[in-house]
Amino acid sequence: MLDRLQEWQLSKLKNSNNIHLDKENLSIQQNTDKKKLNAIWLELTGCSGNIISFMDAENPGLYSTLTSLVNITFSNTLMGAEGESAYEKFLNTLDTEFVLLVEGAVSTADDGMYTIVANYKGKYITALDAIRLAGEKAKYVIAVGTCASYGGVSAAAPNPSASKSVKEVLEREIIRLPGCPSHPDWVIGTLAYLVNFGQIPELDDEGRPKLFYGVTIHDNCTRRGFFESGIFAEKFGDEGCMIRIGCRGPITRTDCPRRKWNGYVNWPVGNNTNCIGCANPGFPDAMEPFIRN
Amino acid sequence: MAKTIIIDPITRISGFLEISVNIEDDTIVDARTSGLLYRGFETILKNRFPFDSIFITERICGICSTAHAVTAALADENALKIEVSLNDRYLRDLVHGFEIMQNHLRHFYLLSMPDYAKINSVKLASDQMYHDYRIPEDINQNIERHYVESIELSRMAHEGAATLGGKAPHSHGIFVGGITVNIDPYKLEKVRSIIEKLLAFVSTSMKEDANVLATYYPDYFEKGISYPNYMSYGMFNTYDEAEITYVKPSVLIEGVISPLNPDLITEQVKYAWYQTDNPTVADTKKEDAYSFIKSPHYNNLAMEVGPLARLKITGDYKGGSSCLDRNIARVMETEKILRIMVQIVTRIQLLRSNQKKYEIPQNAVGAGLTDTSRGTLGHWVNIENHVIQHYNIITPSVWNLSTKSNEGMAGVIEKALIGTKLNNIDEPVEIGRIARSFDPCVSCATHIITREGTDKTIDILV
Repeated sequence: MLDRLQEWQLSKLKNSNNIHLDKENLSIQQNTDKKKLNAIWLELTGCSGNIISFMDAENPGLYSTLTSLVNITFSNTLMGAEGESAYEKFLNTLDTEFVLLVEGAVSTADDGMYTIVANYKGKYITALDAIRLAGEKAKYVIAVGTCASYGGVSAAAPNPSASKSVKEVLEREIIRLPGCPSHPDWVIGTLAYLVNFGQIPELDDEGRPKLFYGVTIHDNCTRRGFFESGIFAEKFGDEGCMIRIGCRGPITRTDCPRRKWNGYVNWPVGNNTNCIGCANPGFPDAMEPFIRN
Repeated sequence: MAKTIIIDPITRISGFLEISVNIEDDTIVDARTSGLLYRGFETILKNRFPFDSIFITERICGICSTAHAVTAALADENALKIEVSLNDRYLRDLVHGFEIMQNHLRHFYLLSMPDYAKINSVKLASDQMYHDYRIPEDINQNIERHYVESIELSRMAHEGAATLGGKAPHSHGIFVGGITVNIDPYKLEKVRSIIEKLLAFVSTSMKEDANVLATYYPDYFEKGISYPNYMSYGMFNTYDEAEITYVKPSVLIEGVISPLNPDLITEQVKYAWYQTDNPTVADTKKEDAYSFIKSPHYNNLAMEVGPLARLKITGDYKGGSSCLDRNIARVMETEKILRIMVQIVTRIQLLRSNQKKYEIPQNAVGAGLTDTSRGTLGHWVNIENHVIQHYNIITPSVWNLSTKSNEGMAGVIEKALIGTKLNNIDEPVEIGRIARSFDPCVSCATHIITREGTDKTIDILV
């Protein structure tokens, strides 16, 4: 009898949840007053593709991450505020405990005038100004993507904007999450580690979390069997290992083959194209030509 | 009373934008839009392997990378005289279509909506300084729920793009000769399922929300009106069938429509931070200059590009050309493109990738022109000694965020701001709303470079 009653109560609860799920979720999120770690997402000299990739996260997705994991106070792409009021949210965060997520390289040409992130009280705030201000005060600094990690495409030869990696302009520990873009799981996984364990995850010599960057693409490649059997592709679409048409899987350390992208649905090799080494320090210059067919 | 207002950053766009307006009484009498990001992609591309342009130019823009991949591939294919099969064009248009869906959903909800509705549960989006929120609470709650749903749906649009294009952003499947994917029944069914989910949302919730904006912000039908000049390079336009064709390369100038003639495109740099004598070199000290974005013209006219321009050209949009018209047109276009995508899916044949080995010619020139989320996108490549000798990119936002012409004619967004009446001069919320109605992208906009002199036709147009 008790079992039947519980069952009935549970089903009632379940039904009411279904009906009001969205509304309830919203109000729970609104009323949850737990203290979250502040975060600044600073876009610098780049394409803003890393925050787009971040929005492509799934379970936890963007909404859950914004409402439950970290309290992002500043993001050029997402924030409601604009102008000086927006920049003041950046300034106000500097005196709190916060994590700084940086995407894009830091352009240094012409005193930083090639990337201006704000105009505050009549003064241009360059990428260089912003990274120096926030980089010194942040509890953690995460370089999201290859431009922030190593300079990337923004610093490609002849580097017209004199772009540098975050590491080159800040003398402190930097967590690097290279990839063009960085996979949302790498970013959220790293944030989750910082928030839940209060320390930096185990990093390799380059400052990359071993969790995501421990093994080369070649080691886990779905086409590894072809390599072992000596079956090689001559062009895109051939069955076989793509090493002869330029695959950089053997020198690129990410977990793309197992994790895959965008709802875990596909990845470059899965789509008949070779890895172009977008997470490597020398990307793009040292990886080109990308395709040698 | 005269007053100058500067807003920098204009947030909720891609890249860094400053807008400065002069106000007399309560009306904007002058405006300047300044793109504040410069990387120099044309310089970077010089001497690289021609096919690498597909992967390098994707990295111009995180929100429209596929568009650059498609356009770079078109330019290479034009240079190498390669025809793309019908099936590959279908698949490529689907990848591009998914990217546009991702873009429009994110623009309407994540980038634009915080201007009009309170997104209470996301502090980052709701924490701002203006008070002009007019939507009743129960309707606002609906919009907020749609904002949250749009996050998952825009993610899903990118999943559709990645199903056929490897990953997103920065796809790995658009390539010279077509697309690399081996399409199979499961992938096709996945793609169809995603399109249907998007369409179910767009044709109900998103359209309702556009109507809500029209109901509660009707004064925005009078704000943000720009030039009556519209241009498109064409979108879903390589097919014989009308059912899957959207817009052909055309211009609509003061009500008169004519086919696009790319020879009429010119650019000027008087007000852009490039050396007057050598506009390939940036110069932020130049007198009078205020932006990294140049001033392109078609037949000496500033042209609006984007969803409103396309729907004006096709005749589907009968309304005006204001801030609100632009946002409504974007929603209408989102549905229209999804309906085309539904039709394309039914035509796809299950074929393996038909990629070939391609030889790079010693010398060749190629042009790729297509419309994408924000408007007209052109890539021009000049191959010499098997490498890129010159690469030229003119993006949609260069047109909309254009600086003033040498004669002082305002750029398209500048023109939309000028003449607009502010409801409350202490809360100039109109400026950001009008700018965002164009979905401007500074990441894309700061790249045009000519080989010689100012005020010349771009000399590698072919």
